[in-house]
Amino acid sequence: MTEAVLPPLSLTTNTHKIPGNMAIWAAILAEMSEFAIMFIVYFLAKVHNPVAFDEGPPKLSTVAGASNTLIMLTSSFFVVRAVIAIRENHPEKSARWLWGAVSCGVLYLIIKYFEYEWNTAQGLSTETNIFYAVYYYVTFNHLLHVAWGSAAIAWVIYRLNTGIYTQQEHEGLINVALYWHMIDLAWITIFPLLYVIR
Amino acid sequence: MQMTTKKLIGALWLLLVVLTLFSAYMAEQVTPGLYSISIMAIVLAIKGRIIVDYFMELKESHVILRALMRMYFYVIPALIILVYLFPEQIATLTEL
Repeated sequence: MTEAVLPPLSLTTNTHKIPGNMAIWAAILAEMSEFAIMFIVYFLAKVHNPVAFDEGPPKLSTVAGASNTLIMLTSSFFVVRAVIAIRENHPEKSARWLWGAVSCGVLYLIIKYFEYEWNTAQGLSTETNIFYAVYYYVTFNHLLHVAWGSAAIAWVIYRLNTGIYTQQEHEGLINVALYWHMIDLAWITIFPLLYVIR
Repeated sequence: MQMTTKKLIGALWLLLVVLTLFSAYMAEQVTPGLYSISIMAIVLAIKGRIIVDYFMELKESHVILRALMRMYFYVIPALIILVYLFPEQIATLTEL
């Protein structure tokens, strides 16, 4: 009688591999949950205040929102290229790509400053109505993430330049790259909710 | 092999840019309706999936992390469409 051979477990090494480390994923999932709560607040406020949410987005600057979306996506692209460069043992090139990402972060903050100024000139504030209260709460929260995310990338550049990160060991760089992509994910969700859908 | 990865990442970035410009165009030019809302929701789902799978490298990685992150970009687009279709019913259900 032939012995039945059990098939190998379907879970391969790949399905257990974690980009970065578990600590950064705990942070990313916590941050994504925080943004999810804000999005639920947005949906609830929208169904209870349809007029404010229909009339709100057209008064915002779509150009500023779209520009910042393009900037965030480009910064994410730069971060991916920085990861590829360090894997190819090109730390200087990796640092240059990361400088590109930091520049995008700074540009985002400058655009956001002018966007808020433009809103104020139009008489829009957190007091105007619930749509703008949600808009300011969500976008200012995201702005803070961009600011400290940019600072974290600058720290990674310093560590790259001092030779702490190498082709073999660069987990810190990967962690910051993942965190930055999370900030990008939050923004690509915020953009349609606040600027596009009405 | 590495060149292929760089080309893929570049092509995906370009696709993300095109999808963003398309969303901005819709915001300015298209009258809101189920059709346009659904397209915007699908665009968000595609953009999220690209970043999760390729930029965060979860396509070939941890199955639970991948599922959680992908789920985000099924649930939010679905909520966008549901809130558009049934605003009054959802308002009634969530009345304090």
